[in-house]
Amino acid sequence: MRFVDHVRAGEWHTVLGYLLFVALMTAGYYYNVTFVQLGLIDLGTRLVGLSHTAVSTWMAALALLTFVVAVAVGVTMDRRDWSTDLRLKLRLLFGVLVVQFVLTAVAPHIRSAAAFGAWIVIASCALGVGFPVSFSLAIDFVPVPDRGPVAAVITAVTYFLANAVPIEWSIGAFSLLMVAAMAPGLVVLGVVAFDLLKPIERLVDGLALQHREFGTGRFCHPTSIRTRSLAFLAPVALMFGVFFVDSLGFLRIIETPALILTSWQSPEFSTRLAIAVVHVVGALMAGVLYVNFDRNGLFLWVFALFGLTYVLYTSDLRVAALFPALGRDAPSIVNPLFYALTVSFYTTLNFALWPDLSTAETIGTHSAIGVGMAGWLATFVSTAVALYLDHAAVGLLTHLNLVNALALLFFLALAVGIYLRRLVAVARGRGGDTDAASDGEVSG
Amino acid sequence: MTPTEIIPLLIVVLLLLSASGAEPDTMSVVFDGNQTLDGAGENSAVVVGGGSVTVPANASVSAPLFVVGGDLRVDGEVEAVRVLAGNLTVADGASVTGQLEVVGGRATVATGANVASRSDLVGQLQDQSPTRSPAGFLFQVLSLALVAGLVARRNPTLLANVGDSVTNHALVSGVVGAIAGLALLVLFVYMAFTLVLIPLSVVGLAAEFGVVVYSYVVYGYLIGRALPIERVDVASAAGAGLFVVALEALGAVPLAGVLGQGLLVAVGFGAVLITYFGLREFEPAEIPG
Repeated sequence: MRFVDHVRAGEWHTVLGYLLFVALMTAGYYYNVTFVQLGLIDLGTRLVGLSHTAVSTWMAALALLTFVVAVAVGVTMDRRDWSTDLRLKLRLLFGVLVVQFVLTAVAPHIRSAAAFGAWIVIASCALGVGFPVSFSLAIDFVPVPDRGPVAAVITAVTYFLANAVPIEWSIGAFSLLMVAAMAPGLVVLGVVAFDLLKPIERLVDGLALQHREFGTGRFCHPTSIRTRSLAFLAPVALMFGVFFVDSLGFLRIIETPALILTSWQSPEFSTRLAIAVVHVVGALMAGVLYVNFDRNGLFLWVFALFGLTYVLYTSDLRVAALFPALGRDAPSIVNPLFYALTVSFYTTLNFALWPDLSTAETIGTHSAIGVGMAGWLATFVSTAVALYLDHAAVGLLTHLNLVNALALLFFLALAVGIYLRRLVAVARGRGGDTDAASDGEVSG
Repeated sequence: MTPTEIIPLLIVVLLLLSASGAEPDTMSVVFDGNQTLDGAGENSAVVVGGGSVTVPANASVSAPLFVVGGDLRVDGEVEAVRVLAGNLTVADGASVTGQLEVVGGRATVATGANVASRSDLVGQLQDQSPTRSPAGFLFQVLSLALVAGLVARRNPTLLANVGDSVTNHALVSGVVGAIAGLALLVLFVYMAFTLVLIPLSVVGLAAEFGVVVYSYVVYGYLIGRALPIERVDVASAAGAGLFVVALEALGAVPLAGVLGQGLLVAVGFGAVLITYFGLREFEPAEIPG
């Protein structure tokens, strides 16, 4: 890892960059997977008194609005050259954090649908500004060869904390924890962003120039990847598929007490610890694979693992349907462990991929479209589909079977796509360099 | 028992039934409650997966019985019983006219019971340790040495390429080996549950085993290179023999030994895969910067 070289060389501004990036992304992602994804459901249904469908609709609106705001902000960042202005990005992020701090503190006190709606709209805007800005910090903070390992560390820490630290899935508990964590974070980010201490100012000066060295992503050699190219749109579509498959399946799993209370919300600490450890192992594995293989291989792994995970879930349900006596026992821990492994794989890929498909001139747009389409729009669409399936009274087995079919379909389509591309390359008489070409062009 | 826990055991039963020429889809499975087998009309296999099943004193059951969970109590006469998990009790005066096989779980046979033939896999495995069964162990060593010698003589480049990944890319080899080995194992086991894909499942599991053996050959080649033997085939054969001995010795160390064995298998398995069985050297993706 280059990180060790920087420590040995005493390049402390670069070391600070690593730490800041990991801290910011971990905090941001933890906030998303706990407070936003779980806390808001509790707030809407329990405290505001909305129906589950209404809350899901609001969540979908949040995802869509976040996506729209993010694309607008990302494109603006690139057009106005904000992407290479580190201090401006840090100040924008500070502003986002202030808004989120206030929103997080007031959330448990919301009691009306109108206030809930207003909260969603403001939060969407903050998130929409926050994630393209935070993802774009990769070009300032993380050397290209270390993006896989850094992404793995972010994923590992986030999911370990989210699973191993016992916290009730309620808006009150989340709010209290987040406010306590965000307060010192606000102070630190304020000091860094507004040059409040001279030594820190010098370190930030050093960081502000690093985009010249770290700015061009792994897949942008020898030529940069354009936004309207297959080399960018193919990974966007694949990552959309990954998030969609995950979200559509997990939305149903968390609504099934028998599945969720024996895994992610198990009262047994050992169960949650096992899930947390598998998340860590999965993230570190994905980090190793990301560094050693091209991104196609990782996508194949992710879809294959999702397919396998849902085969396990659906097989259990089929057996339980055939032999009801078996269904009375607690579901196996094996299934959520495979699920955790898969989620860690693609989350690591997601953190490293978008900066590596970008240059300093395109990082805002690419991370906004990439994360926005894949993460937020996929969530919006999957929520809509889940609501439809819910209204259609589709059973658990049918629902998960559908998700399984999607995962296998993506896996097959990607495998066929890779094969056909090589076939075309061979037919054109350049079979020998297809692997090299795959990194710079479509392989993704 | 959960479905995930019982499915692999049921698959083992299916494989055993298929191997014996019986129709696996006619077997009956008991999952709960208290049931009695009187033997009347029992032609297909009976699997005890849960609950409690009794063969009464006056009954005679000719169908093969499997215990994969729950309890089976025999007071009468049965022909053959295999215990994979769960509990079997053969009471005083009861008889097993054929084979009683205990692979796992617990089997209690009363002193007054009559069992024609009994085999205990756990005991056999213990008996198979090198100190207790030197002939069997010698056979393993010689077989692997022979394979290693032959492969090294015909195409040492294959072994060199895989060996290069084991030594220079151990981390990525281990990661690929662990995840691919585990995922494929689960996949093949679940394939067997479809019944239609049982042959493919068996082939897949055999292929996985073949990859592991191939990786052992590679380890033998690597050890052989360090030996003061000039001929690569002889060195590889000697190395393979030493590797099997070392692996067996490693297994004797509690916990750490088993972990070490698993690690070696994972790294070897992954190295074979990422080099396409040694057809080409593994080169990690180039990351500019």
